Amino acid sequence: MSGGTSILLDHVGKDFEMDDGRKVVAVEDVRLEIGAGEFVALIGPSGCGKSTLLRMLAALEQPSRGRVTVDGEAPEELSRNHRLGVAFQDHALLPWLSVEANVELPFRIASRAVDHARIAELIALVGLKGFEKARPSQLSGGMRQRVSIARALVLRPDVLLLDEPFGALDAVTRRQMNLELQRIWQEQHISTLLVTHSVDEALFLSDRVVVMSGRPGNILKEVSVPFGRPRDPEVMRSGEFHRLEDELTEALEQPGVAA
Amino acid sequence: MIRISKRRGQDIAYGAIGIAAFLGLWEYIGVNQLAGLTWPPLTAVLAFLFDPSRQTLFVRATSASFSMVGAGYVAGGVLGIVLAAVAHLVSPLKEGLGRLSSVIHSIPSIALAPLFIVLLSKEWSGMAIATLNVYFILFIATQSGLAAATRAHHDVFTVLGSNRFTRLIRLEAPAALPAIVSGLKYAVPAAFIGAIIGEWFGATRGLGLLMVSAMQNFQIPLLWSAVLITSAGSLMSFGLMSLVERFVYARYR
Repeated sequence: MSGGTSILLDHVGKDFEMDDGRKVVAVEDVRLEIGAGEFVALIGPSGCGKSTLLRMLAALEQPSRGRVTVDGEAPEELSRNHRLGVAFQDHALLPWLSVEANVELPFRIASRAVDHARIAELIALVGLKGFEKARPSQLSGGMRQRVSIARALVLRPDVLLLDEPFGALDAVTRRQMNLELQRIWQEQHISTLLVTHSVDEALFLSDRVVVMSGRPGNILKEVSVPFGRPRDPEVMRSGEFHRLEDELTEALEQPGVAA
Repeated sequence: MIRISKRRGQDIAYGAIGIAAFLGLWEYIGVNQLAGLTWPPLTAVLAFLFDPSRQTLFVRATSASFSMVGAGYVAGGVLGIVLAAVAHLVSPLKEGLGRLSSVIHSIPSIALAPLFIVLLSKEWSGMAIATLNVYFILFIATQSGLAAATRAHHDVFTVLGSNRFTRLIRLEAPAALPAIVSGLKYAVPAAFIGAIIGEWFGATRGLGLLMVSAMQNFQIPLLWSAVLITSAGSLMSFGLMSLVERFVYARYR
C-alpha cells in the first residue's frame, strides 16, 4: 500500500535543443519535495516547464541537471515496478477497448491477474457504474477523464501524477470533477503531483501550492493550504480561500512570469 | 430493424444508377456495334458465359485462377505483415527492409514474370506475382499502421512500465489494424492482376490463359467472359473487404 512514498526533485533543470541549435532552458533550477501522502499542486503560466517537471517524475523525460528520486530510487524504477499512476489532459484511453478493458489495462501491462472486484469498485468510485461496456467514443469528455483517473488508480500506485486532467472540460464539469477527485483521493492518500492552470482547482485539492515563473522555469512561491479535509465546496466561498486565491493570482501576474 | 440514413440511402441509389448506366451503355454500344466487332453486347457475353456446354471450361479456369489469387493473397499478406512487424521491432532492419521492398516493387511485374517462370515453374508464377504485389501493399500498410499509436498512448504505456512485447500486442498492433485492413482491401485487385499476368506467361490452366488464347484466336465472347469473371471476382472480394473495413473503422473511432 501507499503512504510511505516521498518525492524529491533535487535541483533539477531541463534544456531543450532547438532545430537551429540554440539551447532553450525550460526548467532552470527547481528543488521540490513532496512528502509521503502529500498532495502538491503546481501552477504557472503556459510554457513554464511545469509539465516538463511532471514528465521527469513520470520517467518520460530525463533532467539535464540534478536528480529526481522517489524514495531514493529513480522514477524508471518506479514505473518498471508498476507503481506509478498517471492521467493526462488527453485522456489517452484506447478507443478499441471498453471502459472496463481500459481500466484493466494496467493489470495486463503489469502481467498481474486482473482483479475484477477492484475494477468494479473503481468504476463505481468514479461514478461510471452501468458504463462498463461502453467505448470511449460513446462517453462525454468528463466521463472519459474519470475512466482515465480510474485507470491511474487501479493498481494502487505509490505516486499519482495528474497533468491538467480537467484542462479540456467546461467550468461546471471541472468543478464537479474536482469534488470527485477529492473524494477518491480521500480514500487512499497517495503522494500526488497535480499540474494545473487553475488557481482555485489547485487550492481546493492540494495541501500545498507551488507557483512557477515563466521560462526559464523556477519556483516563485509556495503556499500551504490551511483547510482541513474532507473539504466542502463551501470552502471556496470563504474569505481565507479568496485571500489565498488573490495571493497566488498576484504571484502568477508578476512581471517575471509573463510568458 | 435496419435503419438506413438518408445519406446512405442516397449513396446506394446513386451507386445503383451508376452501375445500371454502365451496363446499359455497354449493351447499347455492343448491340449497335459502335466500337466495332470486338465489343459484344453484355447479353451476348452472358449467354456465352452461362451456356451449359462451357460450364466445365469456366469452372476449371476460374478455380485454377482464383486458387492462385487466394494463395498469393494469403502468402503476400502474411509475409508483408510479419516482415513489417520485424522491421518495426528490430530497428537496424527497418531501413533495409523498407528499401528492399520498394526496389522490388519498382520493378514492373511484367519484367519479373519470365524470371519466375525460369526460377519456379509455369504453374506457380501467377501466385508468385500475386504474392509480390500483395506483399508490398501490406508491408507499407502495416509499417505505417504500427506507427499510428499516439504519443499520449505511448506515454501511458511507458509510465505503466510496459515491456516491448506488451506494447506491440496491446497498443501498436491494435492501433495498426485499421491500416492493415485498408491494405488488405487494396491488395485484392493487386492479387488478381498479379495472378492473371502470371498466367499470361505460359500457365496450362486459368483465366489468364483463356484470355491469351481467346485473343489470339479472335474468340471475342470468350475473351470478354474471362474478363467478366475476373472483374466480378475482384469486385466482390473488394466489396467484402470494404464491409470489414467499415466495421473495423467504426470500432476504432
